[in-house]
Amino acid sequence: MITENPDLLALFTTLKMAGLTTIVLLIIGTPLAWYLAKMQSRFKVVIEAFVALPLVLPPTVLGFYLLIAFSPQYLPGQLWQQTTGQQLAFSFSAIVIGSVLYSLPFVVQPLQKAFEQLGDNLIEAGAMLGAGPIDRFFTIVMPLTKASFITAASLGFAHTVGEFGVILMIGGNIPGETRVLSIALFDHVEAFNYAKAHVLAGSLLLASMVLLSLIYLLNHPEKLKVKKIKGAKK
Amino acid sequence: MTQLTLDINCQMDTFLLSIKQALPLKGITGIYGHSGSGKSTLLRIIAGLNDQAAGQISFNDKKLLDTSSKYFIKAANRQISMVFQDSRLFPHLTVLANLNFAAKRSKGQQLDIDEIIDLTEIKPLLNTPVTKLSGGEQQRVALARAILVEPKLLLLDEPLSALDHASKNCLLSLLVNIEKQLNLPIFYISHSLPELQQVANNLLVLSSGRVQAYGDIHQVIHQLNHFDLTASGQSYQQTSLSLAIKSVDKHHQLVTLALGDNEEIHLPYSNNLIGKLTVSKEVKKIRCFILASDISICLSEPKNSSIVNKLFGKIIDIEQKKCQVLVTVECKRQKFFINISSYSLEKLALKTNLSVYLQFKASAVRSQIN
Repeated sequence: MITENPDLLALFTTLKMAGLTTIVLLIIGTPLAWYLAKMQSRFKVVIEAFVALPLVLPPTVLGFYLLIAFSPQYLPGQLWQQTTGQQLAFSFSAIVIGSVLYSLPFVVQPLQKAFEQLGDNLIEAGAMLGAGPIDRFFTIVMPLTKASFITAASLGFAHTVGEFGVILMIGGNIPGETRVLSIALFDHVEAFNYAKAHVLAGSLLLASMVLLSLIYLLNHPEKLKVKKIKGAKK
Repeated sequence: MTQLTLDINCQMDTFLLSIKQALPLKGITGIYGHSGSGKSTLLRIIAGLNDQAAGQISFNDKKLLDTSSKYFIKAANRQISMVFQDSRLFPHLTVLANLNFAAKRSKGQQLDIDEIIDLTEIKPLLNTPVTKLSGGEQQRVALARAILVEPKLLLLDEPLSALDHASKNCLLSLLVNIEKQLNLPIFYISHSLPELQQVANNLLVLSSGRVQAYGDIHQVIHQLNHFDLTASGQSYQQTSLSLAIKSVDKHHQLVTLALGDNEEIHLPYSNNLIGKLTVSKEVKKIRCFILASDISICLSEPKNSSIVNKLFGKIIDIEQKKCQVLVTVECKRQKFFINISSYSLEKLALKTNLSVYLQFKASAVRSQIN
């Protein structure tokens, strides 16, 4: 049924891409953020700048370089083709890899900040109770930075859903593979199909608003409680 | 005897921490020194939380650190536990969950968690969020948590410095009980000599990263009388005693301690006496100290005085620094230290081998910190 409606198919592709990207980002972003929070080397600045690049670069610049890297003429593209037997450029895998780079700062930065704020005191206390590094991370660090993990995952997910330039450069517009909502919307506008464009644009706007509100709610639960009490007194 | 052998160097901001010392793993070892003398760094090096030190540390025959062969056992694997100045309880867990965190990771599985809960008197707090605990309660929980991991050595880094007097006295009694009941060696850091005087068996004194003195608590405290400690603005010249209880006069709220065969020292009875005089009948000795400035010297036997403590002894040493004089008097093989002015020294014509009477009020005999 999904395949019959091109917009629903685009929605499905978008959710799949954003979901997978978020999972990959949490897996790579967490150790990277930990490393950045704890390291004191000079290289730290360089890595931090690299992580933050997608915040300032036009997505087309990132997309352009990725397109070249993913093409079968260059090493990353070649390696991919040798191991999987498929071309990397213009594939679903390509847009996931592109999204991971594109949304990296949105996951790494909140986590890094949370790890820095947590400090070493409780981690040392854990070590003094016989807990090793992995044990300490899952039983002390993660529960205490839970809100930042939720923020990081939500921002990473939301930012990936809103991606356009990178995907256009490296994914093209293949239904069921690389045709995501933002690109479907662009198609509708180009075809002067404003009714369909309105549905897509409106739902994206609403969904993003709801998601962001949830993130802020999670980050400031105490402020909302105070307001409620004040209201009750009146 | 089991011992911790240290031979370490560690560069600090303004000096080199350099310690070569064997510390017996028995009873409570006090570590004393001014702020910035390297006490905390030493403890962190022993714990494995500071990996900047060079040298060797061995725990009995087991090596913990040997930088010549790049050997370093990580903090989590040393079976050494620590209680910090700030309790560092995990805020996302309840009191009971904090205790279970330690119990689950214990290598021994010998201790009964309920027994430790009773010992540290934290039963009513078990389901309380740790953020709702008072300072004293937090430290009792932190202590219970550190014990439950069943360490072979417990390190305490100024655990009482943030507490009020009542909580301090209560925790000090608790420490003595823990050491006795669990036979757990404890290294206790403090910049408060009265605290250490009450609980430590041995004392290590650090000054600018070096060992200034080490040995039996009373002896080291008496040694400190001769050092210039006025840098801190406070003189702790004192007589440190550990004496057997002879009798308790509840009517007059007075405890009498035996000094030798026939001399006595009286002190006020208090519910806060370290070692819980009221509860446990096992406590036969009381730790107390008398500040050198609280004792006076008489050439003839004082009579008809309200001052209850009167001892007869012989001057064995007189040390004069400007107008301040420190007189050492021996009585029943116990040394007493007395501060007098150079004016009194001349007026009484005091000299060594002269027999004198010492006088001090019962309230000058301190047996709790305040």
